[in-house]
Amino acid sequence: MEQQTDTKVEQKTIRTGLIDCDVHPYPRSTEEIRSYMKKPWRDRYNGGGRGFFGNPVQGDRVDARPPQGGSSGSDPDFLRKQLIDEYGHAYAILMPRAFCNLHPDPDFGTAIAAAYNDWLADTWLSKYNHDGVFKGSITVNTQDPLAAAREIERWAGHPHFVQVMTDSGARSPFGQREYYPIYEACEKFGLPFAIHPGTDGMGINTQPSPGYPTHYIEWHTCLSLGFQSHLVSFMTEGVFERFPGFKIVLVEGGVSWLAPLMWRLDAEYKALRSEVPWLKRRPTEYLRDHVRITSQPLERPDKDDHLLQIFDMMDAEHLLMFSSDYPHWDFDSPTRAFPKLPEALRRRIFFENALEFYKL
Amino acid sequence: MGKHVIGAVAEFPAGTRRTMVVEGRPIGVFNVNNTYYALKNSCPHQGAPLCVGTVTGMTLPSRPGEYVYGREGEILICPWHGWEFDITNGKSIFDPHKCLVKTYDVTVEAEEAGETGELETYPVTVESGKIVVHM
Repeated sequence: MEQQTDTKVEQKTIRTGLIDCDVHPYPRSTEEIRSYMKKPWRDRYNGGGRGFFGNPVQGDRVDARPPQGGSSGSDPDFLRKQLIDEYGHAYAILMPRAFCNLHPDPDFGTAIAAAYNDWLADTWLSKYNHDGVFKGSITVNTQDPLAAAREIERWAGHPHFVQVMTDSGARSPFGQREYYPIYEACEKFGLPFAIHPGTDGMGINTQPSPGYPTHYIEWHTCLSLGFQSHLVSFMTEGVFERFPGFKIVLVEGGVSWLAPLMWRLDAEYKALRSEVPWLKRRPTEYLRDHVRITSQPLERPDKDDHLLQIFDMMDAEHLLMFSSDYPHWDFDSPTRAFPKLPEALRRRIFFENALEFYKL
Repeated sequence: MGKHVIGAVAEFPAGTRRTMVVEGRPIGVFNVNNTYYALKNSCPHQGAPLCVGTVTGMTLPSRPGEYVYGREGEILICPWHGWEFDITNGKSIFDPHKCLVKTYDVTVEAEEAGETGELETYPVTVESGKIVVHM
């Protein structure tokens, strides 16, 4: 065995606690984002949201509004107090809400993505990040994949950007070839591709249900549909064969559907393999190497045991990563959202899976 | 178990609420149309501070496509997940039998003559009373 003799070898600090894979930081104002834009975009950008389907009751935790003013998630000190310190977060993976991929003008969308990245890098990933608890996501505009790939390259090597992100809203399933420049860049720079709900059926994006649902409750329940379509597309298009180092993480798209959907896809594969001859394994067998899924909003059947069975069926031990969605209304408490878990499984879900996936 | 004076009626008008800790327990006290109610300040779902939520009304049970809004001021919306609770009995709207928050009795008691130093007694108006929470 080789003896380690160099005493100056850098020690990597191993943190303990929990890793929260979906935390939303907000700018203090629209003007803050605008200040990172060049003209003409600076004059055109007015914030905007995603448009339809706002929560009719409350979009954020009411108690998450900072006492000093500003919107929920905009005050780093208050976010630290209410989330990081309250629950002992080792890391929070930040997912800004730029809603950049619904615009008909791809250049506008790309400018919004870039401004959010500059803002996040300047603030939450540096000024507000003395202890490195915050890890960020590079927002990309999927409607212009070549520009998105350049944006990824612009940030590659940054110490605190740990993934690329987009909304689930899209014009076509994410496995299709027009997106490949993005995945090529993700693979090249070792950055997972995170998909978060948003902009489904809005602007230029299609709605993954038959037409538009009437209510927010329908739209929000059915967010899983888009995720399922994207995942099946990634699998069948052979994205994981084309880009063997490429990984995705499905954020806030639901949990309990994963195993049954994959059983269905595996069954189809037995009969229809000839249509997708590039697959070298059954679809399910790609999951551990390429796919992770975050927990919130965790489904809670009446019997806890049923959820534990689902965890077993879906390989939660290796695929599931805790997320809270702070400060949104459907926040999952780290201490209350899950039933009691076996300690080893709890540790995988709340810490180790994300630690390994993001190489923290 | 005990009686706790938590304030004077005159300073606790209809439509207001306060959160406080009594006997180590966080509670919220609400004045709904001049009747007082106290609820545990912890949602049975995930432990959110329930009593800082929005006080509002609700869409009452109705036929499909019909909206009947009522009970203004009697419904408390959990600040996290938006679950609705009936302030007057602590029961959730979606499942009153299985999902409910603990309530405490609240009474309004007259100021005693001795406390105010008056010798004669007068009919006590509500405004002169004190609010008592019974734990």
